[in-house]
Amino acid sequence: MKDQNKEVLYGLYDDDEILLDAVKQARENHLDIWDVFTPFPVHGLDPILGLAESRLHIAGFIYGAIGTAIAFFGMSWVFTRDWPIIFGGKPYWSVPAFIPVTFELTVLLCAIGMVVSFYIVNGQGFGVDNPTLDDRITDDKFCIAFQTNGKSESEIEKLRSFFSESGASEVNSKTI
Amino acid sequence: MNQYTFDSKLKTTLLAGIGLGVLCMIATWFADPAQIAEGHTHMRFWTNFLHNTVFFTGIAFISLFVLAAFTTAYAGWYVLFKRIWEAYSFFLIPGLILLLILGVGNITHFHHLYHWADAAEVANDRVLLGKSGFLNNTWYTGGTLVVVGLWIFFAMKLRSLSLEEDRSGTADYSIHRKIRIWCATFMPIAAFSSAAMIWLWVMSVDAHWYSTMFAWYSTASWFVSATALTILMLIYLKSKGYYTQVTEEHLHDLGKFLFAFSVFWTYLWFDQYMLIWYANVGEETIYFKTRIDQFPVLFYGNLIINFVLPFLILMRNTTKRKYGTLIFTSVLLFFGHWWDFFLMIKPGTLETAEHVAHMHAESSDHGDHGDHAAHAASSFIEGFTIPGLLEIGTFIGFLCLFLFVAYSQLAKADLIPLNDPYLEESTHHEVQQDLSGAGGHH
Repeated sequence: MKDQNKEVLYGLYDDDEILLDAVKQARENHLDIWDVFTPFPVHGLDPILGLAESRLHIAGFIYGAIGTAIAFFGMSWVFTRDWPIIFGGKPYWSVPAFIPVTFELTVLLCAIGMVVSFYIVNGQGFGVDNPTLDDRITDDKFCIAFQTNGKSESEIEKLRSFFSESGASEVNSKTI
Repeated sequence: MNQYTFDSKLKTTLLAGIGLGVLCMIATWFADPAQIAEGHTHMRFWTNFLHNTVFFTGIAFISLFVLAAFTTAYAGWYVLFKRIWEAYSFFLIPGLILLLILGVGNITHFHHLYHWADAAEVANDRVLLGKSGFLNNTWYTGGTLVVVGLWIFFAMKLRSLSLEEDRSGTADYSIHRKIRIWCATFMPIAAFSSAAMIWLWVMSVDAHWYSTMFAWYSTASWFVSATALTILMLIYLKSKGYYTQVTEEHLHDLGKFLFAFSVFWTYLWFDQYMLIWYANVGEETIYFKTRIDQFPVLFYGNLIINFVLPFLILMRNTTKRKYGTLIFTSVLLFFGHWWDFFLMIKPGTLETAEHVAHMHAESSDHGDHGDHAAHAASSFIEGFTIPGLLEIGTFIGFLCLFLFVAYSQLAKADLIPLNDPYLEESTHHEVQQDLSGAGGHH
């Protein structure tokens, strides 16, 4: 898939309300939307698109739990086995003193883990150059895109008529 | 249905609950544990009285405070059900009466809740003598009267303006501007005065001890309880066909408050504990030493109920939107923070009670009784070491009284305010897109 160029037919909309209606219409007509691009998060778009709930927070919980474990058991090991030191007359294994560090490492690993996962999953990161369909969809245009590889003329014509019916201000095709 | 009718069936149920509470309190009066009955202090009765009074008055206060804070912050989402908080704040009136009974008791010594109220003791105690500028009857009774009186004044003011907005609110929202000014005025007053009051009412039970975290800590406790009670009230009223416009979106936000303030409470709990543990100053550490050694179930149970369980249950967003999990956690937390106040009050008063009993034994020259009292702390005492059935009954009584006051106020006005400028925003409140059904049903 990576090497294969995508032929994309996309329509640009001027308003998010029009876009929402168009997406609804496309779903009703069982058109296979490749992706929708918007310059800002459009409220209510995800459920209309039928996207599944993000699993990022599950990963976040796991990263956080790992952070908790590393900090707590790490400190427990250091201060009871590896290098026991008495601080202020407290026992070696002084749990209350571990709590702030444990909390901090939980938050740190959770946050960093989620950011890194998010970037990897989305194919983003330093030095990665993702092709954009149209520069204006990062500014003021809303876009619905269909992949047209191997689609027949009549199918493409059906998509074009969908765009004109649903109020797209512009329809273009592009190979990326 | 925008007009709530406080039907007679519910009225009867609540009155029965209040009756149960009164019966339990009467029973408690005669049920002082043998070890501390010697001083004729009726300590179990008075601690229950103080405990429930402070807990429910606090909920009324925090409801008013939340209302003021949200209004000042231009929040809109809560407007649909703001009448619930207005109604809750009315419990400040019975709360003031109950607190004044305690204040009068301090002066006339018909209870011995506070060590500092005993002039003979204070005279021989350098620590108490040093604190006597604040821990005295003028501050306790007078302060309660002035401060809670002031809270009541603000509650009445906000309520009357809110009703006036219903009747004659116009598009220029001049009444709402007035409400906002009153709300903003109330916030600093409430913050400072509530701290001073909780020091007097609860922290001074351990007269030698103090903690700079205490006011924050107990206020967080009130906040969680008030939020839990609001969630339960909303779900109850929805089940009766009211508040159809209040959806899971609003409950989700209340659930977030429940979750967030449980974590905040834990943060303060731990702060207070760790600072004292680390500094290891004798008169501060004894507070936790007593509780860990003699009240282990309450002490650790407190953390499990009020932190571990809500933290794990409410972490996922779906559990904040479902009635089942919300009801479960709300009931748990409401009881849990009642339990938290129990733990704040009982150990200190038990010590004072033993002290009084000891003195009594000495003065009447019964050496063995004094011995008896000294051992009391190390043994299990129902109603002190753990809440007994009478405590639960009293709790139910106070809860029913609180709800009776709240329902009476709810029935007096429209459930949903009519002319609040943020009403429209509140009806369209949406916090999270429902992704459960693929394809969406928007």
